[in-house]
Amino acid sequence: MTLADARGSVVSRLPEGWRAAPEPTSRERVLVALSGGVDSSVAAALLVAAGHDVVGVWMRLHSAADRIDGGRKSCCTLDAADDARRVADLLGIPFHIQNLEQEFADAVLEPFVASYLDGETPSPCVGCNTAVKFGALVGKAAAIFKCEAVATGHYARRAVRDDGKAWRLRSAIDMEKDQTYFLHGLNSAAIARARFPLGELTKREVRERARELSLPTAEKPESQEICFVPDGDYRSLLRQRGWQPTPGQIVDDTGTLVGQHAGSAGFTVGQRRGIGLATSAPRYVSSIDPRTNRITIAPRAALERDLIPLEGFATPLGAPAPGTLLKGNARIRHRGALAHGTIEVSASVDLGNAFEAVAGGVRATLRLETPLWAASPGQTVVLYDGETLVAGGRIAREETHRA
Amino acid sequence: MSERIFLDGAAGLPVRAEVAARINALLNAGIANPNGGHVEARRSRALLDGSRDRIAAHFGARPADLVFTGTASEALALALGSELRDDGLLVTTAGEHRGARALAARHSTRGGSIRLIPLTSEGCWNLEAFDAAADGGVRGATALLSATSGELGAIQPIAAFVEAWRDAGGGAIILDGVQASGTLPLSMRTLGVTHLVVGAAKLEGPVGISALISAPGATVRALVPGGGQERGRRGGTEAVILADAFALAVQLAIEAIPETSTHVRELAKHFDTSLGDPAAYGLVVTGPRHEETRVAGHRSYAASWALGDDLVAALDHEGLAVSTGSACLSGSREPSEALRACGFDEATARGGLRLTFGRNNTPSDALRAGVALRLVATRLRHSAAPSARGPAVIAARSVGTP
Repeated sequence: MTLADARGSVVSRLPEGWRAAPEPTSRERVLVALSGGVDSSVAAALLVAAGHDVVGVWMRLHSAADRIDGGRKSCCTLDAADDARRVADLLGIPFHIQNLEQEFADAVLEPFVASYLDGETPSPCVGCNTAVKFGALVGKAAAIFKCEAVATGHYARRAVRDDGKAWRLRSAIDMEKDQTYFLHGLNSAAIARARFPLGELTKREVRERARELSLPTAEKPESQEICFVPDGDYRSLLRQRGWQPTPGQIVDDTGTLVGQHAGSAGFTVGQRRGIGLATSAPRYVSSIDPRTNRITIAPRAALERDLIPLEGFATPLGAPAPGTLLKGNARIRHRGALAHGTIEVSASVDLGNAFEAVAGGVRATLRLETPLWAASPGQTVVLYDGETLVAGGRIAREETHRA
Repeated sequence: MSERIFLDGAAGLPVRAEVAARINALLNAGIANPNGGHVEARRSRALLDGSRDRIAAHFGARPADLVFTGTASEALALALGSELRDDGLLVTTAGEHRGARALAARHSTRGGSIRLIPLTSEGCWNLEAFDAAADGGVRGATALLSATSGELGAIQPIAAFVEAWRDAGGGAIILDGVQASGTLPLSMRTLGVTHLVVGAAKLEGPVGISALISAPGATVRALVPGGGQERGRRGGTEAVILADAFALAVQLAIEAIPETSTHVRELAKHFDTSLGDPAAYGLVVTGPRHEETRVAGHRSYAASWALGDDLVAALDHEGLAVSTGSACLSGSREPSEALRACGFDEATARGGLRLTFGRNNTPSDALRAGVALRLVATRLRHSAAPSARGPAVIAARSVGTP
């Protein structure tokens, strides 16, 4: 079943008791986070067209902001800031550069480095959306600009409970571009204050709109890489941050030593290229153990999982009670396949291991009806009920979870 | 948005109406390239010579010792390039304008040495703490200093410095008078410096023209070679119209110094009354406490609980144009070096704010500015990021990892 087919059935509906929350039409003061890309430019244009009182802000998040990118790809360089400023000028809205370097370092950069050193594959965009764009920036928006809402160029929509007291993310019309996966960390209060003007548009429509308005960003290419690793090589960032690669063993799924690697933090679960072994059939990294500095490789089929341990698990209304069962469609990577399954919140926390519990947050287990491939610890898992995102967390390491 | 209040004259003032009218007239007067052998060129040359004569006279110099440049940064670079060898000693302070600090940084990366004159807690040169004879002395060294601190409003003890410097056998003194020239009388006859840099933009003249004024006998070596313009000290066709506008702006600004100073001092007092006790709003006063050592109409503060850029943005939305005083285009959160040199901690040095009252401001502007700063300081100080659930969970992620 393709995603398009799926939309016609189980995933393209609102759960009972929830209704669509259209973008507000009555005038409000809203801050729009301009990245210098086409999406946020059009989001700003739509807000202005809707008659809102709009303030444009470009966030300075890290020192990549001092770089000038001839390639026009990253959202976080001086060139991107210039583009954002031009868009704001064209739309006739105020423009400011908001420094959030400290907030970004605390919530995104440091955890990113720590996660890799811990043998995981981090999801930095989730932390940035949760703690920076819809966290610190919301506070700045209110305090500095007296804005009650923060808008971005994300492809997402919102749903509200019939009583109006709880909010969820709802997937965008354009399923190819839907970004609710990266937004799952937003709680109900944050969703209430979030604005997603692009949620009802396809990417094609957004580009057309940008061209109609002659926005300088209309033809900019998509930014795919991690914004603070503009050259695409996160290993060089790790080295800058003190990572000293230590050679270690590569073993196969029977435990047999098959080779050496140059440093385990340079690998990610599901990786095939760059392992440096000549094997008769394709082999993939199936697990990384930072304590033994050992990497395990296995055939493709061995990376299928129908039982995935989770940590840092929460719903928009907070941490669910132990024993809670949530059913829905799970996704373990952006735009990845949806698989029907159940998440069970772990019964209790072992008091003798409270430190671990605090570090990992609420634990849970995802049981899938059909397995998903390459569940990389550190990556985000989200669960949808119809179109609405009901919960999310991170994939935990299997051995940690059992311990 | 209600009526705007412009309190950032220290960063440059809009062009004065008389000057704008003069520029307009000249733009339509068919001004030719002054380097030619015809009537039109000679007319143009006469205009340029007249501008040079008038500006030089205002600063107590000979016309032959004035070189027009594009910007003040260029004039500083021109002077420094003429005086300082790569292995020479440069004496400067942490409170200089960014253009001067960049020149010092470049000298350092080229292997040259730097000595900093310490600042007092109020941002003035601490000459008692600067022993010119220490560390091998300053014989033959070059000094690069600004007459007033744009950021903190300190009027520097130039005469005392010059005397000590000459006694210690110091070499050239390059004085950045761009900020000071609109508020203090500056004359090469009495300053005793080797070079003085002035610019039109801070005198309600146009951006794009400045001047390096040198003592008789000082050498100026061109950065840009050319067709012998400015006596071989700066290549490129002279900006005749801008030079004329510069001369008019200098004349009008200098004539108005006594009146403007009185006016802006009054405004600053109104503002003080309106603001009340800065400490009650979490603001510390930076720069000199006494009006005699502070540039007229200059007020500066710092907050440990906000970035200066955040205060500027919030005040912008209240209708006030103000500055951090150490502006950076790309929104960096680097602490102000001047505030650090005054002894403030890093957080406070990131929270600098500057307001400068000008000729065109009114008492009502001053009162409204005080109210706006009170409101903004109160709001930002008591604001905290709302509790999206993410930060706690995500921040905890790094606990217990290597």
